Amino acid sequence: MSAVNTADAADARRAAGAGRGLSNGQFAWLLMLPGLALFAAIIVYPLVSALATGFFEQSLVRPGRTFVGLANFADLLGGDFWPVLRNTLVFTVGATVAPFVIGYALALALNSGIRASGFLRGIFLFPWVIPGVVVSFLWLWIFNANYGVLNAVLLKLGLIEASVSWLGEPTMAMIAVIVTKTWASFPWMMVMLLAGLQTMPKELHEAASVDGAGAIRRFRSVTVPHMKGIAGIVFLLEFIWNFQHFDTIYVLTGGGPAGATKTFAVAVYDTAFKGFDLGHATALGGLWMLLLLVLVAVYLRRETKENA
Amino acid sequence: MSVTLPRSASMSRGATGRRYRRPDRTRSRVAAWTAVTVIGLFGMLPVYWLVATAFTPDDRAFSFPPSLIPTEITFDHFTRLAENEHLFRYLVNSVIVSVVTAALSVVVSAYMAYAFSKFRYRGRRSLMHLVLASQMFPQAVLLITLYAVFSATGLLGGYTALVLSFTTFTLPLCVWMLKGIFDTVPDSLMEAASIDGASRWRTLHTVVLPLAGPGMVAAGLFAFVRAWNDFIFALTLTDPERQTLPPGLVHTYLGEFQTAWPDLMAASLVVSLPVVAAFMFLQRYLVGGLTAGAVKG
Repeated sequence: MSAVNTADAADARRAAGAGRGLSNGQFAWLLMLPGLALFAAIIVYPLVSALATGFFEQSLVRPGRTFVGLANFADLLGGDFWPVLRNTLVFTVGATVAPFVIGYALALALNSGIRASGFLRGIFLFPWVIPGVVVSFLWLWIFNANYGVLNAVLLKLGLIEASVSWLGEPTMAMIAVIVTKTWASFPWMMVMLLAGLQTMPKELHEAASVDGAGAIRRFRSVTVPHMKGIAGIVFLLEFIWNFQHFDTIYVLTGGGPAGATKTFAVAVYDTAFKGFDLGHATALGGLWMLLLLVLVAVYLRRETKENA
Repeated sequence: MSVTLPRSASMSRGATGRRYRRPDRTRSRVAAWTAVTVIGLFGMLPVYWLVATAFTPDDRAFSFPPSLIPTEITFDHFTRLAENEHLFRYLVNSVIVSVVTAALSVVVSAYMAYAFSKFRYRGRRSLMHLVLASQMFPQAVLLITLYAVFSATGLLGGYTALVLSFTTFTLPLCVWMLKGIFDTVPDSLMEAASIDGASRWRTLHTVVLPLAGPGMVAAGLFAFVRAWNDFIFALTLTDPERQTLPPGLVHTYLGEFQTAWPDLMAASLVVSLPVVAAFMFLQRYLVGGLTAGAVKG
């Protein structure tokens, strides 16, 4: 709040050519102008325009469009929407819970005073740093039905009897994309949760220890309450990101087999850029955004509460 | 005048001995190392496989079961990579797009973050919410109408469409990171500059921005990585000769009868290198910046 004082001081110096005649508010808006222009052009206008397009029949490759009211939405809700919603939810829940658990376990391990934890933290970030498309290539190769290393290892260990076509079978394909995304995002979870753990006052654990609480009890009664804020935000953010994730699924399965991994992002992309059907694509996008809005509202509420 | 910023203080702290753990220290050590080992295998084996395949001769990579420990290594895949002029083109495109995006993001987000941090005016809170929320809008939806917008303005297919899009998408996080840093710059510093007769521009450029140096590097790095890694926009908005590496690699290697896996792994390794190197070099700042906004001590 004391920034206002600075501003007052600056106002007082205006005679010395300090303020160029702009009020503080005007100066602030001037600073924000480039950013706001980008937001308007790249996010706000396209968003509004997309929402409007949902009510038209429009093609990507032909000019002109016809108003069809709610017909696009009716079409979607009559069929295609539901499997896509289901796939998105399965993927999102799986690809959020798994890295959360792994990242939390790793953060706890690295925070428990073992040696070289700083070095290990750096090493563990590797999968997260690697570009998303490379992650997909790599796992595509690992899951390869004919030459893939996963089949080779599992065969050697006697866990499977014949090579499995990981990406060729609906359930397996979904598990495969979840595993891949989990691999790519657990490091981020680890970093954030570790940062949270490191702000935890040691005295709390000491006191609980003196009171005779064991490790599990201390985790439940000391660590979990302390980590509630950060864990909630991290989980929610990852959930929102996964809800609109594209790269891994598109490269690994392209939404297949038989639409088994077709999530909102893949379905919207395919409808628009392969089917050229902008009306249905944006209508599906509108429904998708409606669901996202709920998540974002929850996130904003938490975030602004934290940063108030 | 020297001012030290409490940047990433929480992250650089190493884990030291914990006295309170004494009673069950051994057991918790065992549990910790078990977790680290198991997750380490999951995390690192794929990386190992990426590197191993890139150096494996074709005839061995395509035998089953593959040899897990390479008996013979080759640099052929990297030589072939260097000779491929398309890939070189994609690489150049990636560098151009990412560097310009990083520079533009830092400038735009620094001004915006400064306005958010040091001034109070009508609409500020709503704008901050909008900026924060905008990273949540699904990009696949935006892409559809952006395609039309860029097509209508003649920007479709070139670098500009990508740079403008990536810059905008990096703003929420960059602004958030830099706002956190500007918040820690004491107002008295600006007052002092103002009393010395410096204009607001001058104060911003010569006093405040230099203090935010590490944070701006982190923001720029984040923007660079975002642009370098993007797939869906580069896939859709660019002409073949303006395409960056991620869609370029898909077009080059996938979708044939038999994918040249060792070549693709070698290419993947090369694509990852700048990001991994930049990251290792600036890890401290990036992790500090990432967690700065999220963790309140």
